[in-house]
Amino acid sequence: MSGPFSFTLPPELQAKEPPERRGLARDQVRLMVIDRGTGQVAHTRFDHLGEFLRAGDLLVFNTSRTLPASLTGCGAQGGPCIEVRLAEHLPDDCWLALLLCQKGDPFSCGLRSGMAVSFGEGLIGTVEDRDERIPRLWRMRFSKSGTELVDLIYRLGRPIRYEYVSAPWDLDYYQTVYAQEPGSAEMPSAGRAFTWKLLFDLRRRGVETAYVLLHTSLSSYMDDELDAQRPASEEEYLVGERAAQKVNRAHERGARVIAVGTTVVRTLESVADESGKIQSGHGYTRLKITADHRLRAVDGLLTGLHEPEASHLDLLTAFLPAEKIEQAYCEAVERKYLWHEFGDLNLIT
Amino acid sequence: MKRLEGKHILITGASQGLGRRLAIDFAREGAGGIAITARNVEALGEVRDRVREAASATRVVVIGADLSRQEEIERVVATTLSEFGGRLDALVNNASALGPTPMPYLLDYPLEDFRGVIEVNLIAPYLLIKKALPAMVESGGSIINVTSDAGRIGYPGWGAYGISKFGIEGMSQTWAAELEDSGVRVNWVDPGEMNTAMHRAAEPEEDPSEWADPADVTEVFIYLASDQSRDVSGQRFQAQEENWGRANEDAASE
Repeated sequence: MSGPFSFTLPPELQAKEPPERRGLARDQVRLMVIDRGTGQVAHTRFDHLGEFLRAGDLLVFNTSRTLPASLTGCGAQGGPCIEVRLAEHLPDDCWLALLLCQKGDPFSCGLRSGMAVSFGEGLIGTVEDRDERIPRLWRMRFSKSGTELVDLIYRLGRPIRYEYVSAPWDLDYYQTVYAQEPGSAEMPSAGRAFTWKLLFDLRRRGVETAYVLLHTSLSSYMDDELDAQRPASEEEYLVGERAAQKVNRAHERGARVIAVGTTVVRTLESVADESGKIQSGHGYTRLKITADHRLRAVDGLLTGLHEPEASHLDLLTAFLPAEKIEQAYCEAVERKYLWHEFGDLNLIT
Repeated sequence: MKRLEGKHILITGASQGLGRRLAIDFAREGAGGIAITARNVEALGEVRDRVREAASATRVVVIGADLSRQEEIERVVATTLSEFGGRLDALVNNASALGPTPMPYLLDYPLEDFRGVIEVNLIAPYLLIKKALPAMVESGGSIINVTSDAGRIGYPGWGAYGISKFGIEGMSQTWAAELEDSGVRVNWVDPGEMNTAMHRAAEPEEDPSEWADPADVTEVFIYLASDQSRDVSGQRFQAQEENWGRANEDAASE
C-alpha cells in the first residue's frame, strides 16, 4: 500500500536531536502554515503561532504522558534476551508489545507464547498470544499491575528510540510540557513545541484550550512490509465532560476547533456524532482517517511532518487534497524543514 | 463537609515529621487520595497504615524515591498521576535534607554535601512543580512549599540548608508571579520550630520539648490545600504566628 503521494525524504532532514540540543528553544522550531481555503503556504517560526489563530479558536491537546516504554529482559530460564516495546495497555490488564530479539534478526530468536521474560526488580512478563490484527505484536502479562507496574516501568524502561535519533536522550525530552497521565508508547509530539509562556500568551489573546487523552501506540513495528500496510492500531482515549462541552460550544459559536496532533483528530472524530457534536467518553478507537473521511469535529490540525509511508499522511488528506499537501511538502523539503518527533511543525487551518 | 473532600495531594518527605503528620491530617479532612514519597519505603508503609486508620476511604500511594535524582522525580509524578487519573489538587514540597551534622560552617562545607542539599531542597521542588503543573492548570491547584526562618536570616552553621530555603522563598515568589491568573496558586509556609528528627539533629543542645509538635502546625497547610484559599497566592505563612504571620489578612479566622 502506498501513501497518498510520494516524495523522498533526504536523510539529513531527520531531526536527530531535540531542538534544545540544536541551540533552539523548545518553541523556536519552524512552522509551515497551510490555509485550507486558499491553499496558500506560509513559513514562520512556531512561537509566532498566535498570528495564525483567532480569538475564540479552540486548541485541543492530548495530555498523555510518554512512558519509558522500551524494556529489556531475558528469558527467565535461559531464553533469549529481547527488547519489549510496550504498545498498548488492554482492558484485561495485559499489554500489547513488540518483541525484538537483541541478537541477529529481530524476530528470529524463538519468540513464542508461554515464554517468561525477566526484567529485573522482580518484574516478569509472560508472553501470551500474538495479536490477530498486527501479528508482530504479542500479548504480554506482567507479574505486577496498576501503579506498582507503572512505577517499575519508570525504574526499568527507556524511551523508545528510532535509528535516526542520535543519542539516548532522557525521557524529559520526550514529554510535552502539559503531559499528565502516563500511557503513551511514543510522545504525542505535535504539542512538543508549546511552552507555558506561549500557552499563557495564547490564552491572553482569547485562544481557548481543551484537553483530551489518547495513549499513543507504536508508529513502527520494525517490519517494513507490515509498516507499509499501515495497520490502524487500537488506542485508548478519554474525553472528559469539560472538553466535550468546550468543543461543542466552539462549534456553536462558529469558532475553529484545532487539534494539536493526529491523536486528537482521531479522538474527537471517534466521539463525534453525524452533526459533529462531541460526547464525553472513555474507550478504544481503531478509526482510520483517510481522504474519504468527512471531518465532523475538527477544523484544523497542528502536526509534525510525516514520512512518505506514514499513516498520518493519509490522515492529512482528510484536511487537504493530496496534491496540496504534496506541494507544501516539496516546499518543506526545499526549505530543509526537519521531520520526526524533534522536528518542525505544520499547521493546517 | 470536610475541607479536603475528594482532593488528590502529593506530599514529599512524608515518612516522618511534618510530612507524615500532613498525610494523616489531610486524610482526616477527607482527601480522596494522597501520594506519599520519601526514601524510606518501610517508614512510608507505616504512614500509609496510620492514614488508613485515620480515614479508610482515602487512597494512599506509597512511592519510594530519592529526590536528589532527577529521573526519580519524573517517576514520582507519573506514578501519582497514573493512580489519580491525571488529577492533582495540591503538591506539598516538604522534603528537605539538612546536610552534614554537626553542621559545618560554609568555609568547611564539603562541596558534594552542598550540592546534595541544593538538589533535594531546591531543584527537586522546582522539578516537581514543573511536572505537576499540567495536572492543575485546568481545574486549579495549590502548591505549598515548606520554608524556614533560615530562609530569611543567614544563621551561622545553617549552610546549604539555609541557602536552599532562601532559594525556596525566591522561587516561590517567581512561580507565583508566573502563574498569576493561571488558576494555580503558590504559597510557602515556615512551620516554625518543631520537634522533629531533623531539628533535633540540627540543634542537639536545645530542649526539644519547647518546640511544637508537627500536629500543631498542620492547620495552615489544610487551609492552603483547600478551596478556602483559592484566591490566595504569592504569600508567605508562618504556621506558629498569630494570623499565620500575615499582618493584613484574616485567613486565620476563616
